Amino acid sequence: MANPILEVKNLKTNFFTDDGVVQAVRDVSFDLYPGETLGIVGESGCGKSVTALSLMGLVQQPGRVVGGQVMFHGEDLLKLSPEEMREIRGRDIAMIFQDPLSSLNPVLKVGYQVEEAMLAHHKFKRNQAEPRTVSLMDQVRIPGAKTRVDDYPHQFSGGMRQRVMIAMGLSNEPEILIADEPTTALDVTVQAQILELLRDLNRELRTSIMLITHNLGVVAGICSRVIVMYAGQIVEEGPVNQIFENPQHPYTWSLLRSLPRIDASRHDRLRSIEGLPPDLIRPPQGCAFHPRCPFRVEKCFTVDPPLEQVEANQRAACWVTMKRANEEMGARDIIDTSPGAASGIHPGGRKAAEEGPSLIAPEEVKSG
Amino acid sequence: MLTRGTLAYIGQRLVLIAFTVVAVSSLVFIGIHQLPGNAFISERVRGDRLELVLHEYGLDRPLLEQYQEWATNAFLHGDLGQSFVNRGLDITPLVLRELTVSAEVGGTALLITIGLGMLLGVVAAIKQNTWIDYLLTTTSVIGYSMPSFVLASFLLLFFAVFLASATGGAFYYPLHWSGTYGDPIQLSIPAFALGFPYASIVARLTRASMLEVIRQDYIRTARAKGLRERVVIIRHGLRNALIPVTTILGPLVIGIITGSVVIESIFTIPGLGKEFVGSILRHDYNITIGVFTMYALMVGVANLVVDISYTAIDPRIRY
Amino acid sequence: MATAATAATAEELELAGGTVVREQVSLWVDSWRRFRRNRLALIAAAYLVLLMVDAIVTIFWTPYNMSSVGLLQPYDGPTLAHPLGADSLGRDLLSRLMLGAQVSLIVGLGTQVLVISVGVVVGLVAGYFRGILDTVITLILNVFYGIPDLLVALILLTILGTRGLFPIIFAIAVTRWMDMARLVRGQALSIREREFVEAARASGARPHRILFGHILPNALGPIIVQATFGIPTAILFEAFLSFLGVGVAPPTPSWGSMASEGVQAIRLAPHIVLAPSLALMVTLLAFNFLGDGLRDAFDPRQKR
Repeated sequence: MANPILEVKNLKTNFFTDDGVVQAVRDVSFDLYPGETLGIVGESGCGKSVTALSLMGLVQQPGRVVGGQVMFHGEDLLKLSPEEMREIRGRDIAMIFQDPLSSLNPVLKVGYQVEEAMLAHHKFKRNQAEPRTVSLMDQVRIPGAKTRVDDYPHQFSGGMRQRVMIAMGLSNEPEILIADEPTTALDVTVQAQILELLRDLNRELRTSIMLITHNLGVVAGICSRVIVMYAGQIVEEGPVNQIFENPQHPYTWSLLRSLPRIDASRHDRLRSIEGLPPDLIRPPQGCAFHPRCPFRVEKCFTVDPPLEQVEANQRAACWVTMKRANEEMGARDIIDTSPGAASGIHPGGRKAAEEGPSLIAPEEVKSG
Repeated sequence: MLTRGTLAYIGQRLVLIAFTVVAVSSLVFIGIHQLPGNAFISERVRGDRLELVLHEYGLDRPLLEQYQEWATNAFLHGDLGQSFVNRGLDITPLVLRELTVSAEVGGTALLITIGLGMLLGVVAAIKQNTWIDYLLTTTSVIGYSMPSFVLASFLLLFFAVFLASATGGAFYYPLHWSGTYGDPIQLSIPAFALGFPYASIVARLTRASMLEVIRQDYIRTARAKGLRERVVIIRHGLRNALIPVTTILGPLVIGIITGSVVIESIFTIPGLGKEFVGSILRHDYNITIGVFTMYALMVGVANLVVDISYTAIDPRIRY
Repeated sequence: MATAATAATAEELELAGGTVVREQVSLWVDSWRRFRRNRLALIAAAYLVLLMVDAIVTIFWTPYNMSSVGLLQPYDGPTLAHPLGADSLGRDLLSRLMLGAQVSLIVGLGTQVLVISVGVVVGLVAGYFRGILDTVITLILNVFYGIPDLLVALILLTILGTRGLFPIIFAIAVTRWMDMARLVRGQALSIREREFVEAARASGARPHRILFGHILPNALGPIIVQATFGIPTAILFEAFLSFLGVGVAPPTPSWGSMASEGVQAIRLAPHIVLAPSLALMVTLLAFNFLGDGLRDAFDPRQKR
């Protein structure tokens, strides 16, 4: 692979609330390569959106980036002045948001809102911006773009609004497009259209896309690589096919298992992950996932596992990994650990699995 | 912006305004003419002489007949009759002349109300929880607790009394309106006294609404586009923060019209307000009725203008 | 109470009523606890108590006779014996200022008594019965909101023809009753959907009993707050009217008419306009702070 276009190193972002310091992003490092579509998945509150906002310099009070580097064309974005960062925002790195209803200004014409993004950066001249707005809106397949530029957001449907957002994001031909849950607020059929659009644009324009979602289906649809986040950290990273077929972190495995599958029998139960994500004011000692992990060992209670190579191109932060869980702990014999197995439980293992999330009785572990 | 629907709406409203003006001024006409003796209960006219004068002005006729004549003249010919006190003084041209004076002062006051109010509100919101915010918030609490005539007295004390003596007469602010219309200082002090209490209300509302708006997703979008902070606040924030403020514009305009009655009396400005109070005190009731009719018209039109301005600010509103 | 069944219903009702009362008591206690913590509101309340005492004391006693003309030289400045000096007729300004509180408080409280009695009934009826009655009342409210209050009050006073406290109170109440009615209507609309009202209705309570026994007690907090904000508005209104010369007839002192006299002599004797203006301003501020404090105490969620 070529050199990364964006290198995030040890990013830390905290929110200084009245209740205490929320460590929303805890030491996150990853690379983004030119032209790739990178998915970032995790439950809500895992820090994936805050990671994106941190890159953009858009973290609002009481939040603040407290450490790390974001290298872009040899410059650390976190060291730039607000004005220098403003120039990069929207021109080199653009971002689109989850709810296209609230993310567009209700009192300004949509065409103007797209045009404005161009005029802010002088990459296109004033007389180019207007025709370009129309052609952008054509490109994102808004029917009748020529007349619709003069409409207001409330005159558009949800899917059309998200297309406007995408047109706005692409207007300065950015090198990176960050899409934060771009399809979550949309109908399923519209979701598919928007994803298809993003995939086509990625192919045509070679724009790198960072797609943030909690939906693994979306990742499977368009991403080439995926990062799984949990409790403000990256727990697993690798090519999408590889991760889906052979997840190594128990959290990734649980996520895949909780995915509804069309080929599953209707009597099978969906497996949700038991327990709640940890409190990020006082993150658990050791691995953040250990309170919910069915495969935890003693070390998980005390030492936070580093992100390490587990397969070619695949890294995971786990002391056990699914490979060991299957081979050494015999996990396969108790519950179906095949990836994405919504059917979940082997006939023989049903009882054991229902007794508790852990295969190791708590007594066996010295207090954590 | 002026669609067929909007025009039809304006037409409807104009009919409603005409109806209201006729109804309200008729009520006032009949109410005031119920008073025995009208303008002439005073030391000036007594006994037989009173009857003579009443007859001369047609005030001894049946009320309905008087009303018919007045209404025909007023609503069909725009003639509001003549003064009871200054004989031969036509009310319509008088009222129109005074309207221009009042409009000048009131218009300036409205500009101060909206301009200053929004400025203070936005600054307080951007500087939320700093000393600037606390200072501005306290000022606005005092501002709307201070009666306009108290503020006017303070301003007069400062400009006409203190500054005049402190500068040895170099700065002279006349206590009485000298008729130099458009003189910025002469105009701005009464306009400020009239507008500031309402500016405080606008500031409070703008602050609250701005704090709400800058948390919205589209503000984050605007920042993500790389717009300058000033553009984000003014073009994207203020425009939306304005929407709740427009909802009090109607009462605000009525408030300024009402307040002008007091302010014009203090600063001896020859406008509608001073005439209104003066005519009541002089028992020159034909003028009272005439001015009131004018007020009813102004309030109706002002409310219509406010309602139409909503559509300019919020594209989601259509009539 | 002839049958056992009715007796049981009555007992149940009493039980239900009992819980409501206990809830109310703790609400008042809680509110008082919150109010006590608001220093500004406490200071305002203390000032207003003093003002009330002043208004009562001046019925029997003032430092000097408020109407004795020529007691001092006209426009005399403050001295030790006359701390606020003399007015344009040589009367003692302090005595007149102290008396002026009477007019302000009587008008302020009197107006709210009228406004509450009209506003509460109209609001309850509109909010509880809804339908055509509500439509008509809302329409009337909107018409009244559209009129310039001071102008209409001036006309009303002219038509009434007399210059006493009651016509003034009446004129102010007529032009300022709408806020209360609108508030009570909103309260009635929301409270009528609550379970204890449903329960009372199901057990066959008559409308007037539901309105005054259940809905009104639960709307009392907001009504008190609204009335507290209504008092300074009415005081200001009276001051405007007196300032314009159509308020209380002389020689009864009102802060508005005193300020008006002061403006006439502003170059000669600035203290004459300053004294009533400051008194008025402080009083209005005090009522507003008290209102803020009460609102936060009754409904801590609805902070500014």
